[in-house]
Amino acid sequence: MSSHSHHIIPFRTLVATGIALTILTVLTVGVYYIQFPDPINIIVALSIALVKATLVGAIFMGLYWDNKFNTLILLMAFLFFFVFVGITLLDTLFRDPSIIIY
Amino acid sequence: MAENAQVKASHVQHHFASSDQQFDSAKMGMWVFLFTEIAFFGGLFVAYIIYRTWNPELFTLAATQLSTPLGATNTLVLIASSLTVAMAIRAIQTDKKRQSIILLLSTVGLAMVFMIIKAFEYADKFAKGIAPGAYYTYEGIAHESASVFFSIYYMMTGLHALHVVIGIGILLWMAWKVHRNHFSSEYYTPVEITGLYWHLVDIIWIFLFPLLYLIE
Repeated sequence: MSSHSHHIIPFRTLVATGIALTILTVLTVGVYYIQFPDPINIIVALSIALVKATLVGAIFMGLYWDNKFNTLILLMAFLFFFVFVGITLLDTLFRDPSIIIY
Repeated sequence: MAENAQVKASHVQHHFASSDQQFDSAKMGMWVFLFTEIAFFGGLFVAYIIYRTWNPELFTLAATQLSTPLGATNTLVLIASSLTVAMAIRAIQTDKKRQSIILLLSTVGLAMVFMIIKAFEYADKFAKGIAPGAYYTYEGIAHESASVFFSIYYMMTGLHALHVVIGIGILLWMAWKVHRNHFSSEYYTPVEITGLYWHLVDIIWIFLFPLLYLIE
């Protein structure tokens, strides 16, 4: 375990990750100006964001080389978030129209 | 146990068996803290999702008030700062203290650029009367709950900006401690953990940017 937690990330890997993140940022802005129709634009933008977040987590935060338990903690955080979103939407999407929303 | 016979390094607390065990525990503790941070921001993301499903047209109308070039610039600034902090950790892992200090201070510099751009964005909106909640007076958006979008915008970006400010403080503290020879390739846990925090702040912005600035 210790050999994993003290992994020194190669300089080239760090720079390549930085360049990849920059390209993905340019791509997401470029796609925005193309103006895809409604559901597709959100899906594309969030997919690119997810790839970027995965790169930051795996390389910059070192999860790729790290004890997998830490990755599990991160995945659990996202799982709980989706439970939070799902259960809340079960209420807010199916409300009686007579209830005033703000 | 054979390990106990070894002389522990000075940075190892008495309740840890080894430096590696202490390092792994600290790092896992930080990940648990990051879990709570995701839950913290998660509440605001849920608010965003609910209000967007209720008022989809409001979000596309109101987002035209946000500057995509400034948001994109800030995204690139934060990505660059994530790279510099990752390289600062690499530098201290290889005992390059001077390089580590320069990279930590570069991260602080980039964080300040982010905050200055954010300040210009906020000032531009306040000048128009786009203020949070009850202080909203702008009439350029033809929607009855226009202020709702900006309340969510200010809460999300404001909480994120608070994290950037706290990050600046911690990064300066780390640079100072490297300067005072507190860290080396043997012991650099606080620098590593500060990096984890800073990368999470970057990840939050990676999601905030398309959700707030890239909707049409």
